Amino acid sequence: MINLPARDVLGNFLTYNGDKYQNMVVLNADLSLSTKSDIFAQKYPHRFFNFGIAEQNMIGASMGFAISNKMPIVCGFSLFTTGRAWEFIRLACHDNLNIKFITTHGGLVGGDGSTHSALEDLSLMACLPNLNVIVPGDNIEIVKVLEYAFRIPGPFYIRLPRGNLNVIHKKDFEFDPNAIDVIKNGNESNDICIIGIGSGSYIASQFALKLEQELHISIRILNQSTIKPINTKNLISLIKNDKNVIVIEEHNTYCGFGSIISRIISEYCPKKIKIIGIENSFGQSGSRNELLEYYGFSYKNLKKKILELLNEK
Amino acid sequence: MQISSIEEKVLLTDILKLKKQILKMIWIAQSGHPGGSLSCVNLIYLLYKKVMKFDAKNPLMEDRDIFILSKGHAAPALYAVLSKIGLIEKKELYTLRSFGSRLQGHPKKNKDLGIEISTGSLGIGFSVSIGCALAAKLNNNNKKIFTLLGDGELNEGVVWEAAMAASHYKLDNLIAIVDRNGIQSDGSTEEVMSLEPLADKWKAFGWEVIEIDGSNINEIINGFKNACKIFRKPTVVISYLIKGSDVSFMEHTRRYHGKPPNKEEYESAVLEINKQIEIIQGD
Ligand SMILES: Cc1ncc(C[n+]2csc(CCOP(=O)(O)OP(=O)(O)O)c2C)c(N)n1
Ligand SMILES: [Mg+2]
Repeated sequence: MINLPARDVLGNFLTYNGDKYQNMVVLNADLSLSTKSDIFAQKYPHRFFNFGIAEQNMIGASMGFAISNKMPIVCGFSLFTTGRAWEFIRLACHDNLNIKFITTHGGLVGGDGSTHSALEDLSLMACLPNLNVIVPGDNIEIVKVLEYAFRIPGPFYIRLPRGNLNVIHKKDFEFDPNAIDVIKNGNESNDICIIGIGSGSYIASQFALKLEQELHISIRILNQSTIKPINTKNLISLIKNDKNVIVIEEHNTYCGFGSIISRIISEYCPKKIKIIGIENSFGQSGSRNELLEYYGFSYKNLKKKILELLNEK
Repeated sequence: MQISSIEEKVLLTDILKLKKQILKMIWIAQSGHPGGSLSCVNLIYLLYKKVMKFDAKNPLMEDRDIFILSKGHAAPALYAVLSKIGLIEKKELYTLRSFGSRLQGHPKKNKDLGIEISTGSLGIGFSVSIGCALAAKLNNNNKKIFTLLGDGELNEGVVWEAAMAASHYKLDNLIAIVDRNGIQSDGSTEEVMSLEPLADKWKAFGWEVIEIDGSNINEIINGFKNACKIFRKPTVVISYLIKGSDVSFMEHTRRYHGKPPNKEEYESAVLEINKQIEIIQGD
């Protein structure tokens, strides 16, 4: 499980839980192979519905399933699901329907390039009342988040990447949207608190020790997979003594996770903050490593941001 | 009108060579969509070569005909044709999908390359072509607008919104071309979301329908040319094609919709195509 691509974890989870959630139906728009919901389709063909390449109709239909006491799981690519059918999702949230929107290909996508990158989906989703928005950091967390989302009625947006997530949690990790998920504790008060989502949390933990040694600083890392609703009180009480904050998100920086954290911090415990994300771009084709490097998800850029924070008055 | 058998041989050979190029590009990139690129490259090539008013030396020419690849994932087919007509250097083709390349995974707007609009998100390109056709009318320009759609792409609601608008506005300068290869991402179109009776649907939406055998060069050229002559309504050319055509193991399957060939597959595909070129040359 640990080494599977995120979408395989999704497909397997749906299939393992088919009997437990008898009211579950899985909806798809010609991407069942790409999102791995085809695994569910094989075992439960009568509860799987392919709408063809028609995201709007898929989501409209999911609303009909929901008001008929089914629990629709809407699977698709992050961009096409949230972008093409946004107003449908808005209405689903408006009526607080029990629909789980679970997408893959969130963030940078590699060769497919800008028209398939999802760098705006969190902006589109995080503004919707009632919607729970969660970006898991590894496969262990994906399973826990899916269990949680299936248990709690109401709309969820769960964003997964196209490929693999590196492990950041211990096997006995439990997901609690109100708890603050500390990946690296540091001290009571730290020079830098890095708050990541998705791939961002691992990127932070990959570089933190080396940066601590090189710069003689202390770094705390939080994996804030729950973007909405954020338990502001718990978050603030944990980070209030940290001197600076850096957010890492595979999303645009205009109005993404970093913007949300900036608002919370400036409202409740003002301190300096920098955001590492995709700035002013729709993404492009390239290998994952090239893209991560180019958009600043690198040791070099993280160090630069830290030095800016430490040196700026 | 029939083209001469000598010219037919030349065009058939060109198309097979374009297919080799597509395979090489996708093989080197190790990502991309071979199936839907192989099926439609002949349509794109014949449009540029025999039908469209388009000057590769001046791709910005004011009254050029417009081509929009609404099924943007067939970008390799478009790039191969653009290279064949002289807009892209051959060695640039092999930068497909690589970091910094102009040849992005899906076409990115680039007027120098004659790419009018970015596509890849299915359905949008067709809708854009409605606007181009309306604008051409407004300008009293008799340019034609050609849009190539996938058959799976026809699932999108916006396609039918656009189809309705096109006949409402009597857009006889708009020609939609459907790559009717019968397969989309998840399987056959009739299994995933049935389209038939497809011609009747278009007719009911007020379109002239021309159905062609997409493996027949004369039918393609004549189909496009006849479409240009229809008066006071838009025309759709439904082209019956084979997904992955001319590479036996890629034909009629969803397996190579979005999957590149590996080295052995690539090499055997090239052998197959070479054999077909030999046969044509030997005739
Ligand atoms: C709006 C949107 N939804 C989903 C996709 C993902 N996608 C890319 S190609 C494809 C299947 C296309 O099938 P078809 O139109 O038949 O193409 P062809 O057979 O000509 O390759 C899908 C679902 C997309 N590119 N855009
Ligand atoms: Mg098709």
